[in-house]
Amino acid sequence: MTHNLWRSHILPFTLLVGLLGAATLVGDFLLHRFNLVWIGRYLGIPGTLLIIASLFYSLRKRKMIASGNVKSWLRMHEVGTWLGSLMVLLHAGIHFNAILPWLATVAMGVNVISGMVGKLLLGRSREHVLGQRDHYQLRGMSKEDIERAVFWDAVTLDAMAKWRKVHIPIFIVFAVLALGHILSIFLFWGWA
Amino acid sequence: MSRTLKWILAVNLAVLAILAFVYPHLMVGPGKLIPGHAKLEADCFACHSAFTGAESQRCTTCHKPQDIGKLTTVGLPIDKPLTKTPFHQKLVSSDCVACHSDHAGVKRFRTTGRFNHLLLEKTARAECQTCHKAPTDDLHRQVTGQCSQCHSQDKWTPATFDHRKYFELDRDHNVQCVTCHVRNDYSRYTCYGCHEHSEQKIRREHIEEGIRDFNNCVECHRNADEHDIRGDFGKGRGEGKDSKRRKREKDDD
Repeated sequence: MTHNLWRSHILPFTLLVGLLGAATLVGDFLLHRFNLVWIGRYLGIPGTLLIIASLFYSLRKRKMIASGNVKSWLRMHEVGTWLGSLMVLLHAGIHFNAILPWLATVAMGVNVISGMVGKLLLGRSREHVLGQRDHYQLRGMSKEDIERAVFWDAVTLDAMAKWRKVHIPIFIVFAVLALGHILSIFLFWGWA
Repeated sequence: MSRTLKWILAVNLAVLAILAFVYPHLMVGPGKLIPGHAKLEADCFACHSAFTGAESQRCTTCHKPQDIGKLTTVGLPIDKPLTKTPFHQKLVSSDCVACHSDHAGVKRFRTTGRFNHLLLEKTARAECQTCHKAPTDDLHRQVTGQCSQCHSQDKWTPATFDHRKYFELDRDHNVQCVTCHVRNDYSRYTCYGCHEHSEQKIRREHIEEGIRDFNNCVECHRNADEHDIRGDFGKGRGEGKDSKRRKREKDDD
C-alpha cells in the first residue's frame, strides 16, 4: 500500500471514526457534569429518527423514490447517520443494563464503520488508483509496470469493495436489534 | 446477499428473539431489580402491563398502603422501618412509580432524596417534624413558627427568608450574623456592633434632628441609605435633615 493512500484516505476515515468516539465521550462527560443525564435518556428518539430519515438516500439510489438530488440525499445520509449514531451512543452511555440494546449499539457501530468505508475509502481509493494509473501512463511506463506499481492499491481497493458488501446485512441486523429494543420499550414503558 | 447469509441472519435473529422471551431480565430489562423483588425478575408482567408500564394497582396488591412502614407484605411488624413515621397512609393517591423505581438502570435517573410533598395530604404537608428532624443550631432553636415561613417544600436551601423585609444586607452590611445578632440570638439585634455606629454618635445625630425614640433602628432604617427613612419620622425629619446638611455644606464652602 502506498504512503499516499494511507495519508489521504485511511487517515481521514480514522479521524472521522475517532471524532465520533471523542464526541461521544465528551458529550457523555458534559451530560454527567451538568447533571443532564436525563437528556441522554431521550436522545435515542431523535437519533433513531435521523437514521431512519437518512435511509431515504438508499430508497432514492434504488429509484424507489424519484424526488430529490441523489448527491444531496447522500450528503444527508452521511451527516444524518453520523449525527444519529452520536445521539444513540450518548443515549447508550457507558451503562450496561441489558444485552439486546447493547447488541443493537454494537451493530450500529459496525454499520457506521462500514458506511464510512463506503464513503471515504471506496470512493476516494478508486479515484486514487485511477489517478495513479494516469500518472504512470503519462510518465510512459509500460502496462506491466503500471499494474505492478498500483498492485497493492488495487488489492486494498478490492478488499474494501468486498468489505462494503456486508454493509446491507449489518444494517439489517442493526435494524432488527434496534426494533427489538424499541418494541420492548413500547411494551414496558409507562406511557400513561 | 446470498441465500446462506440470509439464513444465517434469520436464524441468529430468531435465537435472539427466543432469548428475549426466555431471559427478559438479561435481554431487555433495564438493570437488576431491587433485592426484595429479585424473584420477579423473569416475570415482567408481575408489575408491568403491556404498553402502560408498571401499574400502582399491581404494587398495592402486595404492598397495602395502610400497612406500608408498619407491616411487611406478609403481615409481620417491620423491625427497622426506613422512616421514623409511616406516611404512605397520608398520600393523596397511590402513585408508586412517582417515587419508586425497581430497576437499577431506571433508578440512575432518579434524583435521590427528593420527594414531591404535593403527594401528601394538605394537613400532613404542614407536619414537617413528623418526618424531618428539626435543626438544632442557634437560629432554628429559636424559631417557633412553621418551617414554611422560610423554607419551601421543594428544597431546604435556599431558605425563602428575606432579610430585606427587615434590613437590607448590602455591601456596607455584609458582615457576620453575630455582628448584629449577638450570641446568635436572632430574636434581637443591635446596630452598635461595629465602630461605624457608636451609641453616642447615633444619639447625637438623632437628638440634633429632634428624634428621641431611636432605639429600634429598623423601624425607620431598612438599609444603609440614611435618607431612605420610613415611619412617622420619614418625611418631615428626613427633609429637615437634608436641608440642614445642605446648609452645613454651604457654610463649609
